[in-house]
Amino acid sequence: MSKLGCSSRLMVILVIVILALFLTSFVMGPLGSKLFNIDVPRELQISKLHVALPSEAMFHVGGFKITNTLISSWVTIILLCSLFFFATRKMKVIPGRLQSFAEVVVDGIHNTIEGVAGPKHVRTFLPIVTTIFLYVVTNALLALVPLWGTWGPVEHITEGSHSYTVTVPFLRAANTDINLTLSIALVSFLFIEYLGFSRIGPFKYLDSFFQFSSLGKSFADLFKGNWKSFLSGFLFGFINIYVGLLEILSHFIRIVSFTFRLFGNMTAGEILLGVMTFLVAFIAPVPFYGLETLVGFLQAMIFAGLTLVFGVMAVTSHHEEGAEHN
Amino acid sequence: MDAETMKMLGAGLAAGLGMLGPGIGLGLIGLGAMQALGRNPEARGVLLTNMILIGALTEAVGIYALIVAILLAMVV
Repeated sequence: MSKLGCSSRLMVILVIVILALFLTSFVMGPLGSKLFNIDVPRELQISKLHVALPSEAMFHVGGFKITNTLISSWVTIILLCSLFFFATRKMKVIPGRLQSFAEVVVDGIHNTIEGVAGPKHVRTFLPIVTTIFLYVVTNALLALVPLWGTWGPVEHITEGSHSYTVTVPFLRAANTDINLTLSIALVSFLFIEYLGFSRIGPFKYLDSFFQFSSLGKSFADLFKGNWKSFLSGFLFGFINIYVGLLEILSHFIRIVSFTFRLFGNMTAGEILLGVMTFLVAFIAPVPFYGLETLVGFLQAMIFAGLTLVFGVMAVTSHHEEGAEHN
Repeated sequence: MDAETMKMLGAGLAAGLGMLGPGIGLGLIGLGAMQALGRNPEARGVLLTNMILIGALTEAVGIYALIVAILLAMVV
């Protein structure tokens, strides 16, 4: 029985306690009490599920709203800054615990970027991709910490005939604020476009959208008196410009896509956890916490990974790609 | 039917029908990835990264439907 890590009697007691907790919370919860027609005592009744989509303002600083998601994101920033400050303060050749943790994180991301972007561009992408990944993943994982999103002043709201209580949390999952995801998406977008303009030159970068060179070639044909190839080149040049406009539009749609992907996933996760806790208060939400841990990690990876992939697409222009293939 | 009922019906339909397309898409991505993995097991790492990336792009479409549903049900 040594495999269990405790004596078998303790194991049995634990299982019984967990089962009892689960069953009582199921029967006393809104699902069980409806199903079995039980009158739940008033102290045990769970108030109606309340979902607040915009974040609540905690206090004001000179007309500027300080929302609970903003406070939550400050906590993330302080946590990450202090972690990496203390990890890199006294660096040694043989790292201590904190330093080796930081090394594992940064080295892992470094290797992933090297696999996608190649050794030439690693240093370009490492800072911003690592920052986005760590910020999003810390925001997502901190939201699963107990008291996060539940601890705060209770407000009684009376709406018509029925009244209910609403908790306004001091700390709320930062990723469930659309302003935060929009700002990260804007940073990512500006970074990608800046890379495109600075690394391969503004004219070459725009040319990778519109392919003006084919239009120019057709005019050269016109002066040579080659009417047929001028007409076809002229036509294809205009089609290329139209395609380029669509491609520029798709770059702007990336912002929307980035924003709503993260916001939607995180908000859906919060609502899922809320609903599960509302239906069965104990034990049943645990697997969903596991799922949310995975989703938070995956979404951070997707946000950072898509920034990386789009950035790589921007620094390797279409002509270079063609040259590689030929 | 009053306005509230229609709104709730719209929210349910938006979520349900909106998830239909991404669901099929994710299934196709999984199918393609598994087939590729079966033919070429060494390419696991590359396949996984690409699969997750395209899965994220597909999933975003479903998330739009979810946002519409949440907006209909709770905000508007």
